[in-house]
Amino acid sequence: MRKLFKKDDWFYLLYTLTHPMDGYYWIRHAEKGNVPIAILSVILFSFCFTANRLLASFVVNDLDPRGIDSLYELLGVLAFYLLLCVSNWSVTCLMNGEGRLKDIAVAIGYGTVPISLSLLIATIYSQFVADDEQAFYGILLGLGVAYGAIMMLIGIMQIHNYTLGKTLLTLFLTVIALFIIIFLILLLSNRLALVFNFFRSLYIEIIFRT
Amino acid sequence: MKKSHCWKKLACLLGMAVFVLSQSLPVSAKSIPYDSYNYDYREYIRYTPAAYLPAGNVDIADYVFQGSPVGKLLSPQDLCADGKGRVYVADTGNNRIVVMDEALTRIEDVIDGFINQGKEDGFNQPGGVCISEKGQIYVADSQNRRVVVLEKDHTLTRIIADPQSESLEDGFVFTPLRIAVDYADRLYVIAQNMFEGIMVFEENGKFSTFFGTIDVEISLWDKFWKRVATKEERSKQKLYIPTEFTGLDTDPKGFVYATNLDANGIQGVRRLNPSGVDVIKKGQNLNLGGDLQTAGTTEYAGPSQFTDVTYRENGIYSCLDRKRGRIFTYDHEGNLLYVFGGLGTQDGTFRLPTAIEEVNGKILVLDGTLCEILTFEVTEYGRLINEATALRYDGDEASAVGIWERVLELDENNELAHVGIGKAYLTAGDYKQAMKHLKIGMAREYYSVAYRRYRNEMLRKGASAFLSCMVILVIALLVARRFRKKKRRR
Repeated sequence: MRKLFKKDDWFYLLYTLTHPMDGYYWIRHAEKGNVPIAILSVILFSFCFTANRLLASFVVNDLDPRGIDSLYELLGVLAFYLLLCVSNWSVTCLMNGEGRLKDIAVAIGYGTVPISLSLLIATIYSQFVADDEQAFYGILLGLGVAYGAIMMLIGIMQIHNYTLGKTLLTLFLTVIALFIIIFLILLLSNRLALVFNFFRSLYIEIIFRT
Repeated sequence: MKKSHCWKKLACLLGMAVFVLSQSLPVSAKSIPYDSYNYDYREYIRYTPAAYLPAGNVDIADYVFQGSPVGKLLSPQDLCADGKGRVYVADTGNNRIVVMDEALTRIEDVIDGFINQGKEDGFNQPGGVCISEKGQIYVADSQNRRVVVLEKDHTLTRIIADPQSESLEDGFVFTPLRIAVDYADRLYVIAQNMFEGIMVFEENGKFSTFFGTIDVEISLWDKFWKRVATKEERSKQKLYIPTEFTGLDTDPKGFVYATNLDANGIQGVRRLNPSGVDVIKKGQNLNLGGDLQTAGTTEYAGPSQFTDVTYRENGIYSCLDRKRGRIFTYDHEGNLLYVFGGLGTQDGTFRLPTAIEEVNGKILVLDGTLCEILTFEVTEYGRLINEATALRYDGDEASAVGIWERVLELDENNELAHVGIGKAYLTAGDYKQAMKHLKIGMAREYYSVAYRRYRNEMLRKGASAFLSCMVILVIALLVARRFRKKKRRR
């Protein structure tokens, strides 16, 4: 455990948060990134996300708590994270990206940290808010999401050694790749279900005939 | 092993005890043939105690008037009450108007004809009836294409027929179905195939204008397809026709309550001011369409179809839904107060409800297939809600608290009651209690008012302690720094 989550790597996460350009550069070129920490921060992001939806004061939150399931959302966030990493990797592989899957995972994982923080702070702040004072709550969330998005953008840019324009292009292609992957998964599961049903009906037929 | 066995035994015993107890408890309430419920803030169905209970059907077949039995009603379409509580029923199939006393135990009058220019004249399928404040009887004589105005002694006052106006199409056949008359003897008529709105007739019987026209909503998408389609295709598409009005009632201030069929189930009732503008207030969910949970593909699914409305008092009005035979009661702010009634074959349920009216606190519903009048009596629960709503209508929220608290005893999830209590605590200055109740009632606005005051109070109380803590902290820091400097110098 201690090997996986080294103390220096935690400090390096903080350094990356404050100096994204530099931080991500050395993540690619000096093996400063830490994948377990990145995955952990994605999991924490999922918890913060659920906490915000579940616990934010009812003045700012119109969601039905009965419709929120933290485990389900964790699975969703992890699946989306995996998809995003894989699709970005598959696109950048073809477009001369220098980053490895490991670096992409770190870039996106570290990028969720400011979003988690803003979600947490906004959730606590929302407890002390009255109607028509929600503006600051919105600004807090907006700032966090913007910072996170910029972090991820810079991360992708630095680890692949891209220009900004190329990064945006690859991100666009990443989204398309994401849809293609989802489509393929759906197709596969559908076909597999058909095959399974075929064998199942065979089995039922045999059972009924004997 | 032994331990688990012991637990099993205990559980078994407990289960038996519960079973035996539940069997021995007497069933206190009469069995009610329908569900009473309300929708909460999240639009979940929340079952409540019954607000009204069936109090018997009235069948006039055995009633005697002037020595002879009056016979059963035949597909009656409308009923109304005059100021004294006498009930007028439009006995459509028998071409007559039947008048009963307020207890519905006696026939007071049967109007089956009148003298028109020296000749006997009668009704043909009278579909609607209403009484003006002067006591004149208005009858929508639908198949004779006219509205007949009679005095109490059956003498003819006026016949309103063949309305003339430029806004009416040529060859328009005037078939009045439902009518209402306001304090100034203005007559409001819902006519068959008249999509332009309610027809308004002046006191002298002249057609003046259309009223409360429902706008057709065409989405951009539909407009786009209309533009793309050829003329031939367009002629085969469905027409965009506004929905028809189905029933109406007037309140003492001269506002007209009118129901209409809304395919989206959002607004099935309107409150029209004298210039025909809808001024009804909608509640928090912006819905006045009856049932909210209407999904499904059966005949029983789909949005409610309001067929009649009755203005009761203190801003409360009840709408009759013919789709599922339910009665939806709203207050002046558009909050759904309670729902009761249902279709079926049991006593107290409807086959085809056609009209609703309130007489002396009893709700009367006319059934066109059963040909009977169903009566409903208020329960403790309904009475408390009516009273509290009346107090709020008068702006006297403080004295409504006691009533709302008793409502909570009967139905602890009642959001209106929580909001009512919360508001009272708010004015009384108990912000913490107010916040608690307003939060349960999901009243953001009032909760925020309470919270802001509570926060100010806390700040004021905590300010001195907070400031002194800060001062001590600053001094401590200064001292510590000096100490360190001294140490360093050494």
